[in-house]
Amino acid sequence: MENEILLLDGAMGTMLQAAGLPMGQASEVWNLTAPDVVADIQRRYVEAGSRVLYTNTFGANRLKTKDCGFSVGELVAGGVRCARRAAGELPVRVALDIGPIGQLLEPLGTLSFEDAYELFKEQVVAGRDAGSDLIVIETMSDLYEVKAAVLAAKENSDLPVWVTMTFEQSGRTFVGVTVPAMALTLQGLGVDAMGFNCSLGPRELLPLVKELRQYTDKPLILKPNAGLPDPATGEYAITGAAFAREMQTALPYGVQMLGGCCGTRPDFIRNLSQLFKGESAAAPLPPARHGVCSARHAVELSGVRVIGERINPTGKKRFQQALRENDIDYILARAIEQQDAGADILDVNVGLPGIDEPAMMTRVVKALQSVVDLPLQIDSSDPAAIEAGLRAVNGKAIVNSVNGKREVLDSILPLCKKYGAAVVGLCMDENGIPADSEGRAAIARRILDAALSYGIPREDIYIDCLTLTVSAQQEQARETLRALRTVKEELGLHTVLGVSNISFGLPARENVTVSFLTQALYAGLDLPIVNPNQDAIMDAVASFRVLSGEDQNSAAYIERFAAHGEKKPIVQPESGMSIADAVLRGLGGETARLTVKALMEKDELSVINDLLIPALDRVGEKYEKQEIFLPQLISAANAACEGFELIKARISRRGGESVSKGKIVLATVHGDIHDIGKNIVRVVLENYGYTVIDLGRDVPAQTVVDAVLREKAGLVGLSALMTTTVKSMAETIALLRRQAPDCKIMVGGAVLTEDYAMQIGADYYAKDAKQGADIAKKVLG
Amino acid sequence: MEARLTNIDRSEMLRYLLWHGGEIPEDVEAALDRGEERIFRLARPRAVWRVFDYRPGEPLGGTDFRPEGEDLKAFLQDCDQVILLAATLGAEPDLQQKQLRLRDMSEAVILDAAGSAAVENVCDNLCVDLAAQFAPRYLTDRFSPGYGDFPLEQQRWFFQLLDMPRRLGVSLTETNLMLPQKTVTAVVGISDLPQKKRENSCETCSLQGDCVFRKEGRRCGK
Repeated sequence: MENEILLLDGAMGTMLQAAGLPMGQASEVWNLTAPDVVADIQRRYVEAGSRVLYTNTFGANRLKTKDCGFSVGELVAGGVRCARRAAGELPVRVALDIGPIGQLLEPLGTLSFEDAYELFKEQVVAGRDAGSDLIVIETMSDLYEVKAAVLAAKENSDLPVWVTMTFEQSGRTFVGVTVPAMALTLQGLGVDAMGFNCSLGPRELLPLVKELRQYTDKPLILKPNAGLPDPATGEYAITGAAFAREMQTALPYGVQMLGGCCGTRPDFIRNLSQLFKGESAAAPLPPARHGVCSARHAVELSGVRVIGERINPTGKKRFQQALRENDIDYILARAIEQQDAGADILDVNVGLPGIDEPAMMTRVVKALQSVVDLPLQIDSSDPAAIEAGLRAVNGKAIVNSVNGKREVLDSILPLCKKYGAAVVGLCMDENGIPADSEGRAAIARRILDAALSYGIPREDIYIDCLTLTVSAQQEQARETLRALRTVKEELGLHTVLGVSNISFGLPARENVTVSFLTQALYAGLDLPIVNPNQDAIMDAVASFRVLSGEDQNSAAYIERFAAHGEKKPIVQPESGMSIADAVLRGLGGETARLTVKALMEKDELSVINDLLIPALDRVGEKYEKQEIFLPQLISAANAACEGFELIKARISRRGGESVSKGKIVLATVHGDIHDIGKNIVRVVLENYGYTVIDLGRDVPAQTVVDAVLREKAGLVGLSALMTTTVKSMAETIALLRRQAPDCKIMVGGAVLTEDYAMQIGADYYAKDAKQGADIAKKVLG
Repeated sequence: MEARLTNIDRSEMLRYLLWHGGEIPEDVEAALDRGEERIFRLARPRAVWRVFDYRPGEPLGGTDFRPEGEDLKAFLQDCDQVILLAATLGAEPDLQQKQLRLRDMSEAVILDAAGSAAVENVCDNLCVDLAAQFAPRYLTDRFSPGYGDFPLEQQRWFFQLLDMPRRLGVSLTETNLMLPQKTVTAVVGISDLPQKKRENSCETCSLQGDCVFRKEGRRCGK
């Protein structure tokens, strides 16, 4: 029977400890040293009714088992052997069990997505070769780690893949993943079943099961703990019978695989078996809700959702310069700006002649999802860049775009299917854009058919009917709206439209853009691609949401305009304030205003050298004399930054080289993760006009050396917070001396002293950011 | 007993921000308030602890963990049991930190200071609860890996014995640093004799008095 209840096993760790496994030892070793004990526990589960056995390989990855004396291959093969033995002749499936790596992935931790993939791949290959029947990825908190594991499983085996994650009662995992985000992402990646394990008891997990059901039609897995543990003893109190009764309440929501996690024993499985004998799970329904997501935030497509268009170098000199100079922070600032302005999704386009677009896409996607929670739309015409972006995305993305050309459909749709992305289809093909709405709707139909044939669900296909410039082709505005209506009403698809193009070449463009946007929304546009920083655009969206009924009781509208009324109290600049005063008081806006004024009389370099730098010097003096403290020093540096940024943009518009007083490489050394001190130094140095190449934290020595050589940096700054990581600082210095002897080295960090710094071979010791700037001045001028 | 964040000590925050006692302008004061509010909003305090029998020089009862270092031994001289504890604010402060750095580094630094003060408060609250639970016996202050000659490497044992990845969502790097960053582990001794306050003493500090405070003739301790 297709929906027959499938019983899994119960806890393994608890049972092994009861069998005498010492605390703190890798339990996978027992697969080889005491296989009888492992197989015996599993046999008791089989006798109780388990028809899927998880192998005892939860932590059998290279990082966790590196000191245990056995290879991953041996541990996994041993685990599969034990389960097979326990299964005997019975129809029991052996599931290769894969748990978390034990190291946090980027951005919270330092393990890269790619390294995580390699670790999982090793387990998958071993499990496949040992003859597992399926792969189960369990107890996960991080969706990115899950994605690495699922890709490793699917790209290196043909086995079914199940995933269960661990949630808190708040409905989030430890790293903030939500249930809808999990469901949308895993549904997209094409796992065979999904659900929850560990976390809580069945009763506490029930609301999460109900939520999960709304976003997926996959069979659901439930493998909870034996209730909630007693906080003092860590013991679970619930009985097997009570556990089974609680599990029963989950059956109507499509739970088909049931088992137990911490605190459950063979008698729990026996209780399940008695209660559910011959029962079926509820038949799956198509998902009631759909949309796209980041790991921490799902955007359901049940109204107007704004896609921000500002991460795109087209026609933006300053953005192009940022891409060329690898100035990722500039791009991130554009993302935060749009998030603040109310964008729901961010379009990401990093295509520029002369840059490696796939590599840049990976870098930018990873950086973006470290600072914003919005889902991303990968925007490129290069399949390699699209795949790079889709691979790096944590969540479910949109691909922008395909069109009616067969070769485009055939190269990009399989990527959308593989990575579970939604796709934008443009109503054009090899013959260009059809002049009438019927022609465009016909292409939309063709795209729909092609996408469906690749297995992409209907709700993930978004059609762009294309906006043409009204000043050039006036009748086309109406055709676009007509096509939009057809696609929406006849094909029942979601619609996307880049709106701004409509007013190109006209004065007071905003009037026409906003008017067109409103009409398009009325015609059925779900996903306008716009500049959310333009208030008039977002005002129009807010108004539309009121009129369409999406914004219930006009709550969001009222909040938006209530917030508009009250301006944040700011320190009022006095008239006659100098740049130095503005910088000292941390007034960025005023610094920018005064910089503009100064630029009327002086050239850029004089403004920097005669006004901004002396202003920062004065702040530095006050800091040294302890007249101001750390937050004020940084605020002052930030204020000066507003002035510098203005000058940069001005020079960039002219097409000139960026102003820089020299290059400095900064890094928190290998093994150290405390980078706040380094970040402070960076802000201050940048605001003195130096170009800082910030390598981040946990940076290997060779990476520092390579950056110094590549950038021809005259100065490198290293930070380490812990006594234990100063050793790694010394190693980095030694390598720099050998391979980049011309570069000067300054060091800083809580445990360092002048003497200690000299002892490990540094040229300078910087006790704080101010001294860092002084040293930079000495070395680079 | 549940992990609770009840108060963020302003003077402790200011110490982390290297405040030297000068005037604090209104806008900086407002930024400090914002940092505090952010931490109250973002923190998901969680804590775990377990009691073990203790005899100097021997592994803790039922484990292979033999705590090292003369400082810890002296600290626990009156004790026959110890509590291993771990407390964290969770991942949100770390994530917010990444965004705030781009918005305003000054606010990011303040958030960091508020987070450090907050996780200490969670530990303080936990220790008050533990003291009540173990009365009439007495508890020592907290002593963490990395203090004095208690090696940071022994952080590993806290992770294994307290099951920190699964129960707290905290992971340990190869170099024995904890993530999320606002996390504390510590040993607390249990004794029949009253214990004096020894928290933050310079004698057991790994900086050995080489810190910014001692250079100015001050101390960071309460």
